[in-house]
Amino acid sequence: MDLFPQFLANGLVMGVFYALSALGLTLIFGLMRVVNFAHGEFYMLGGVSGWFVTNHLGLDFFSGLIVVAAFMAAVGWLVDRFLIERVRGQGEEPGILLTIGLSIFLVNGTLLLVGPAPMKVAGAMAEGPLFFGPIAVTKLRLLAVAVGIALIVGAHLLIRRTRLGAAMRATFQDPMAASLAGIRTGHVYAATFALGCTLAALSGMLLASIYSAQASVGGLISLKSFVVVILGGMGSFAGAIAGGLLLGVAEAMWGGYVSMGMVDVIGFVLVILILLFRPQGLFSIRTERA
Amino acid sequence: MTLERNILLAFLAGAALLPFAVTDQYILHLAIMALFYAVLASSLNLVVGYVGEFSLGHTAFLGTGAYTAALLSTQAGMPMWVTIPLAGLVSAVFGFAIGAITLRLQGPYFVIVTLSFAEVLRIVANNWIAVTNGPMGLAGVGQNLFGDVAVTDKAGFFLIVLGIAAVALYFSYRFVYSNAGRAAVAVRENRYVAQSIGVDPFGTAMQAFVLGAFLAGLAGGFYAHYISFVGPEVFRFAFMATMIIMVLLGGKGTLIGPLAGAVIVTVLEEYLREVQELRLTLFGLIVMAIVLFLPNGLMGFIALRREQQAAKPTLNAAKERTV
Amino acid sequence: MRNVVLGGLLLTGVAASVPAQAQDTVRIGLVQPLTGSVAYNGKSVVEGARLAVEDMNAAGGVLGKKIELIVEDGQCTPANSVNAVEKLVQKDKVVTLVGAFCSSATAAIMPVAQKYKLPLITGVSSKASLTEQGNPYFFRAAETDALMAEAFAKILANDLKLTKVAYIGVNDDWGRGGVEEFSRDLTALGVKTVLTEYFDHGATDFFTLLTKLRAAKPDGVFVAAETQDGSILVKQIREMGLDTKVFGVGSWATADFINLTGEAAEGIHAAVPYASSMDTPRNQAFVQKYQAKYGIKPGKYGAAGYNALNIAGQAIARAGGTDAEAIRASLAKTSYEAPNGVYKFTDKGQAYGFEAVLVRIEKGEPKVIASTPVDAPH
Repeated sequence: MDLFPQFLANGLVMGVFYALSALGLTLIFGLMRVVNFAHGEFYMLGGVSGWFVTNHLGLDFFSGLIVVAAFMAAVGWLVDRFLIERVRGQGEEPGILLTIGLSIFLVNGTLLLVGPAPMKVAGAMAEGPLFFGPIAVTKLRLLAVAVGIALIVGAHLLIRRTRLGAAMRATFQDPMAASLAGIRTGHVYAATFALGCTLAALSGMLLASIYSAQASVGGLISLKSFVVVILGGMGSFAGAIAGGLLLGVAEAMWGGYVSMGMVDVIGFVLVILILLFRPQGLFSIRTERA
Repeated sequence: MTLERNILLAFLAGAALLPFAVTDQYILHLAIMALFYAVLASSLNLVVGYVGEFSLGHTAFLGTGAYTAALLSTQAGMPMWVTIPLAGLVSAVFGFAIGAITLRLQGPYFVIVTLSFAEVLRIVANNWIAVTNGPMGLAGVGQNLFGDVAVTDKAGFFLIVLGIAAVALYFSYRFVYSNAGRAAVAVRENRYVAQSIGVDPFGTAMQAFVLGAFLAGLAGGFYAHYISFVGPEVFRFAFMATMIIMVLLGGKGTLIGPLAGAVIVTVLEEYLREVQELRLTLFGLIVMAIVLFLPNGLMGFIALRREQQAAKPTLNAAKERTV
Repeated sequence: MRNVVLGGLLLTGVAASVPAQAQDTVRIGLVQPLTGSVAYNGKSVVEGARLAVEDMNAAGGVLGKKIELIVEDGQCTPANSVNAVEKLVQKDKVVTLVGAFCSSATAAIMPVAQKYKLPLITGVSSKASLTEQGNPYFFRAAETDALMAEAFAKILANDLKLTKVAYIGVNDDWGRGGVEEFSRDLTALGVKTVLTEYFDHGATDFFTLLTKLRAAKPDGVFVAAETQDGSILVKQIREMGLDTKVFGVGSWATADFINLTGEAAEGIHAAVPYASSMDTPRNQAFVQKYQAKYGIKPGKYGAAGYNALNIAGQAIARAGGTDAEAIRASLAKTSYEAPNGVYKFTDKGQAYGFEAVLVRIEKGEPKVIASTPVDAPH
């Protein structure tokens, strides 16, 4: 039992990380309904461009974060205007195939440009351990948790409190009515996609400073993020946090008390169970109709 | 319908002559892989094209079939004519169980839940060392067809996979043009209308799903014997991505489409070896281009052209010359 | 129009696969993962291999011809590696094959090599059973975990004063093999096992695993992991505030690993078949050439690629022709002077005679603290 506090702390930290890396997908998959298999690659691009700006341009971590955000917002905007827009409203399949193609292109293009070696993103502060009683964490992890929560709250406020957010909600509820009301839905879609892309990239850079950045990390991130979004309920930020924490803690407990080897199975089993018993996810109010 | 049947028959007949006409082992190997993928793509097409739900968990059945055949061969020494059909049957049972759970869901939920099942099976295969030998995989799967008669050359394997492809196409054809198949199309086009005229969407979807699982299992069984090694990577998403690309490139909801898609993608992937490091980067770009410029796949494109040609033959002919 | 383009692609694809005509080079095929999550290690093998070919060609090539290295991506998967080998054998007409990286991929291409009666050399795949399959065309110019454990278990147990050890390995054949072999040999020396855990390749967070490790209170932890997973794991061991001695196998004696791991790398021990700091004239020359060409010092996999290609090239030269049977026979009689000792093959095709080293990372440099020739397995 004395291990429990540490397992719980590990699970909560991981939970915030999972929620953070799934935030972008909450927008793109949850709201826009694009089953985005390039999500992990946006995350990866965040880490790799974070490595580039801190290592080669000599920026400090936080200015680097801003540059990466601006760059990835532009990438997201372009991807939506030139690719996603052309398959909008055609069901899941073209979107899935398009983003699979995009992810193959991005992974291998990155491999060509920067090579396959893992890259180190210099963190914002030193990495030594911190102890709270029996619980060990690091400053960097606490910082990442703090930035993660700030991003989650910020994104939530953006959707709930700003004009752009109102336009987004209107567009995703009824695109036709929204455009009749004078909302330029094309821009709203692109802005949402750009925001999702940016959030994915920011989490990628933040977590790369704790782990490392590498061209091939995307696949696993995509899968875990789909799990988090489904667990929490499509398009709900509160849900993404709940889904992330649920996944993080469940994995920590399973890994701690049962076995490390099968730890990745937890998320998928949870998804299957949730969809069996509560298909709308933990936090979504409306049920999905065909 | 008859045109489709005749094209399929002509394709099979032409393919049967290939091993006699071609002696280059590399081309035969590619032809074998193309047919293997054709079976997989056709089986996925039954779910994607005729149920109208997008399954990302089809590797579950490929992998189950591959492991079944590999275990039967390495543990019990059974020959291919036993293991491959059994691989299909075991996969069909898995298909029934997974379908019973997943087919109640639609849209993105169905996509993710099927993917989850494939991942669960991959992780189990990777960790259940007593049965699957875990990440070490099952090596040295036998290559005997009946008793002690071993398949020693590529021509032999080609004829076997051609046989499986013929079975797959026959079953698909029978399903698509049966009442169940027509009902499935009705469900795909409009679930509520179909229900109102007495079609049971769950039942028809289940038939397509189980048949798809059976055929994917056959392909998996063949894969185990041909490659002679099976590891957890048979459940990996990479196979899934290849299958989807083939089905959507060829044109879903047609019988010829997946076949054409399988042949084109197999050849394309190998051909791109010429460009070395750029290979997969270009492949990604080509996949994106297909979605943007051939939204209904090759068959959709051809159908469109035929319609256009029938509508205004003269105008089109004039255009052809100027292009 | 688009139909025409696709059709054209198809035709050129088939046309391109018509076998090449008369060759004025000696072709060697290399299958390595160039994409996917082990691409990093695969690229190192390719770098070493290219350097070896450059060396041999500068010295006049073999059989009076230049050697041509043809590299194909096998993605570390059985099916793709088989595709690559079929292409190399049928289309490029290579006379010898080198590869693959992962043992599963190597296991899948071994029967193909045997069917075409072409020699196959692996510089990496360490799964013990590969050389036990009675495939006469297969040669392993690499250590196995059993050989490494045999060489260093005793030194480690004594030097680090180990009494209780925890074992952590990546969940694949290599990681599992490493953990099993080292735990067997250390147990035989009276060292207790307090924890054995495996994690999946690509995992990034080890805090849960390390919590269990902390509770088990070992005085040493054995780790079998490559650069990507290993650097994160070792870093997190220190982040948890654990000061357990860390030792293990993996490509740790490299600048990349030390840079990624940072200060946490100080004092860890790695048992490797090759380290750039090995103090022999042949090795110094190799390191110099490698550094001049690629800007970094070679690691375990760079050396593996370099050695495998040199072994192949020398065997072809000794065979006096490109007849596969002759190359196979001359491979069996290999006595290759590598940067890290002399490689010979047993009857089963397992290499022995080369030096393996135990390094300790001190001030960001891998320092050799013990060196021992790898014996033939008995």
